[in-house]
Formats: sequence, C-alpha cells, structure tokens
Amino acid sequence: MRAWSIIVALLIGLLLAGPLAAPTAAQGPRIEPPAGGIFGPLPGTGAQSSDPSVPPSVPSQFETPDLIVDLSRPRVSITSAFQGESILLFGMFDPPGEIVVVVVGPPARETVLRKQRVLGLWLNTGRQAFDDVPAYYSIAASQPLQRLLARSAGGEILSLEDRMQSVRSVGQREHDDLIRFRLGLVEVKRREGLFPAAIGQVTIQANRLFRVELPFPSRLPEGIYEVRTYLLREGKIVAAVSRPLPVGKVGFSAQLAGWADNDGPLYGLGAIIMALVVGWIGGAVMRRI
Amino acid sequence: MEIYLPIAEQSMNVFVLLGLGGAAGLLAGMFGVGGGFLATPLLIFVGIPPAVAVASQANQVVANSISSLQVHWRRGNVDLRMGLVLLLGGMIGSSAGVSLFTYLKNIGQIDFVIAVLYVVMLSTIGVLMLVESARTYIRRRRNPEAPRGKLHTHYLVHRLPLKLRFYKSKLYISALLPIGIGFVIGVLSAVLGVGGGFVLVPAMIYILGMPTAVVIGTSNFQILFVAANVTFLQAATNGTVDVVLALLLILGGVVGAPIGSRLAAKLPGVVLRGLMSVLILVVAVELLTELLRTPSSLYSLGFRQVMP
Repeated sequence: MRAWSIIVALLIGLLLAGPLAAPTAAQGPRIEPPAGGIFGPLPGTGAQSSDPSVPPSVPSQFETPDLIVDLSRPRVSITSAFQGESILLFGMFDPPGEIVVVVVGPPARETVLRKQRVLGLWLNTGRQAFDDVPAYYSIAASQPLQRLLARSAGGEILSLEDRMQSVRSVGQREHDDLIRFRLGLVEVKRREGLFPAAIGQVTIQANRLFRVELPFPSRLPEGIYEVRTYLLREGKIVAAVSRPLPVGKVGFSAQLAGWADNDGPLYGLGAIIMALVVGWIGGAVMRRI
Repeated sequence: MEIYLPIAEQSMNVFVLLGLGGAAGLLAGMFGVGGGFLATPLLIFVGIPPAVAVASQANQVVANSISSLQVHWRRGNVDLRMGLVLLLGGMIGSSAGVSLFTYLKNIGQIDFVIAVLYVVMLSTIGVLMLVESARTYIRRRRNPEAPRGKLHTHYLVHRLPLKLRFYKSKLYISALLPIGIGFVIGVLSAVLGVGGGFVLVPAMIYILGMPTAVVIGTSNFQILFVAANVTFLQAATNGTVDVVLALLLILGGVVGAPIGSRLAAKLPGVVLRGLMSVLILVVAVELLTELLRTPSSLYSLGFRQVMP
C-alpha cells in the first residue's frame, strides 16, 4: 500500500512541482536574520570552525562592526524548477577600504579522467584523483584582484590558481603530468560554471555600501558553501565576515533523491509501478483518441 | 521550460525530453522495438550522465512495452511459452549485465563500452536487415507469384537437446536457443538501457524462425520483465534511475507510439524493415564519428566523493 501511495504522490507531485516550486523559490527577497557572525567576532561561526581548510587567521579583535554583510537568500534551494541561481550579497563597511568576496563549496575527492587515442578511438586511459577539491570556487572584488593580492592579504585570500595548488593528489604521478591533470580539472569545473573564470565585480556605492551578484549554475553540488567577505585597507585584511550558505534540494526533488538514496530497492519498485501505471493508462487513452 | 532532474542533478528542457520520448515511442509503434537504442545515445548527447541515461531509459522501456503488450495480448499475438523461456535467459542475463555495468562504471570505462557496443551492434544489425529487405524486395518485384519456401530452414541448432514444442510459433526447437538469446538481450538491456527489441525481433525471425505475427507481442512480453528487472537492480545497486526523467520520456512515448503504429499499418513490412535498418545505420555512424573525432576536451570528471 505504501508503494502505491508514494507513486500517486509522485505523479501528482511532479505535475504540480513545476508551477508550485517557482513561487517557493522566489520568496527569497525576505532577508533572514543572519545565523550569527555579522556583528560578533568571526571565528566562532559554526560552519567555519568545523572546516579545516579554512585558515583560522581571521582577526578577532574587532568590537565595532567594520563590516556588515547579508545575502538576498539564506540558502540555495534546488527545486524542480531550479536552473541555476544568482544570489545578491550586499553590505556596508567603514571607509576607506576594498571588498573581496570568496565563495567556496564543500571539498570532495574528484577523479579526473583523460582520453587518449587508442587504435583511432578516443577512450579514457588516464585517471587521477585529487582530494580537497572545492565543489565551487568564485571570487569577486571591488578592485582588480592582482592589485589587491600583490600587496599580500596575508595568504588568506587565495586566487583559484593558488587554491588549486593546495589540492592533494592521490597516488604517485610525474610532476608535469600531475599539473596537466590539475589544469584539466579546472577546465572541466570551469565548463560547468563551478569555477567562474571571471572575477566578479563588487560595486561600491556612496563609499560605504557594496553589492555583488554571486552566480550559481544549474549543475550545483549540494552541501554547505561558505561565503567569506573581507575588508582590505592598504593590502591588509582589517575585517572579515563568514556566512554559511547551504545548497540543497528541497521539496519534491529532495524527497525523491532522499528516497533513491536511502531505500534504493523500494524506489526501484516505485519506478516500475509508475511506469506500468502510466504506460497502461497512456496506452489505453491514446488508442481511443 | 526547464525542469530539475533530481538524480541526474541538473536541469533540462521539458520539451526536449518529451520530444525524445515521443521519437522513441514513434519507433516503438512503427517497428515494435522500444526505441531505446535511439533515445539512450540522444540522452547522452544532450548531457545526461550515461549511467543515469541507461538506467532511466530502462524504466521508460517498462512503460513502453506494457502499452504495446496490451494490444498484442488482446489480439492473441503473444506466444506465452516462448516468452517465458526467453524470459528465463533474460532474467539471468540482465542481472549479470547490471553487475557488469557497475564494474565498468567503477573503472571509468562505461561510456566507452556503451558507445562501442552500440556501434558494433547497430551496424551489424542495420546492414543485415538492409540486405535482407532489399533482397526480399527485389525477389518480390521480379516474381510476385513465387511459392513460399519451407517454413524455416533447419540448421545445426535444431539438433540441440531440451526440445520444446511452441504451438503458437509452430516450432519444435531446443529451449536452449531462446534461453541463450534471452540471456544476450538481458545483458544488452542492462548495459545499454535498451529493451533489446531491435536485436530480439530479428533474432526471433531469423534465428528461431518464428512467424512475424507473434514476434512483436512475444518480444514485448519478455522485454517488459527484463526492463523491470534492470530498473529494479539499477535503482538498488547504482541509484541511477531518475523517475522524473523517465516519466517525461514515458509521457512523450505514450503520444508517439499510437502514431507510429498507425503509420506502420499503412506501410508494407519490407519497406518498414528497410526504413528501420537505415535509421539504425544512421545512429551507428553518428556514434562512430563521436568515437573517432578528436574530443573538444580530453578531460572529464568521474565520480565525486564527498569527504567525511
């Protein structure tokens, strides 16, 4: 019985999901109170401290809010209508200064496959795994990044190239070949929009307000992303704010994916029954028309 | 209109998927094959990960075969005994096939194997069918009154043990033969996400020597259960069945199939088989060029493992 009710719910859900999901996703403009970490000293924010890849060097001695940051949406919700999303990051800072925003997706092990021509056919012959590869990495800045980074922000703000240097390769491989694989990894991620090539433009208004659009593609890995905003003065970080940005499936998509993950056999049965019901009814109806 | 596919983890245009399903359904109606051999490569071309394309396509085949089985069953065009014997091989073959699929996916060669298998199989069948239907066509034109030959010729295979009488097919052959054919179809179905009708139908006609009238109904019967088995095993072991994707393909197919069968009723069998063989060859050539052409990027990503 349970399988039946799930199937029926599934069918109805899918039909409704498209039109209904859109308004759910669009209720974003309401601004959620930040999860903490806007006014207070920074390193305390939960998501940040648990992540070993984040350098713990954020200064903690600021009592006055030199930098206030918020996002137009508290999370990226992958609904049935999801096709990528742009989130607005905005805030205020104590002038003078420049703003840099770094968005980092959760780290994972990625396996890069390389094709080679064998007897005229292209097939994957090489493979190389890398640990600690961020799912997503983008940078936005109010000034050309080279200028800001040249004055060294204490090794805290890493360009994509620098960040990829710290990616650990799994197993042994010749140095030059390893570099080619790493470039290949960046190339694929770039193609999928997960490592945007261009540095985003942070716009500053009235010398103290700033805003920037953070683009997320449709093929977005789930997890807790981290949005770090830095205030720089003369090449030094004087304030930083970190906010977690959860990316996850919600509603119908989440239920289905969760079901497929947790109970594969039952999900398989459900898929079969769905196909039988739709195929049977569809066939009978269409034959009469 | 875009829709997010929860298992493929990407959004895709609804109408592209409906159209693909419709094209597959059209073929199903016209030729009595699932159309999966066309839909699966096309899904991969539009960017669905091959593992998801294959598994979800198997799910679509379930719907496709039940709706055409409805008709053939009512008309009595199903040789149940033959179907069950084929199915025995099919179940073993598809279970083995899913294991093979999982293994190939883990070593990162599944895409290549899928493409190569498609090229080899489609080109062989396409050429054979084209030659056969051309020959029949020429013979009929030359000599329309030619007497029918024997019901079927007798080969070595007819001396195999375990002979069974298949009344509806007017055959007395070894059960090992249909079991073997069912096994091969099962493996193909699991690895390529096709029903296997495009191999099964010619095999039933040319190897088993079944009368054409019961071929399509019987093959649909076996394909239904094999595809259901593949769907179940893929969902249970690889988690790659995307029901949203499958449902869109099914809905497209439901519309396409009756249009196909109405078209088929108006065309003679020889022309139909000729058309189908040309179509099969086109897909084969397209896949082959894909394998031979220098890829735009040498690199791709395998499975992503989230670190603990």
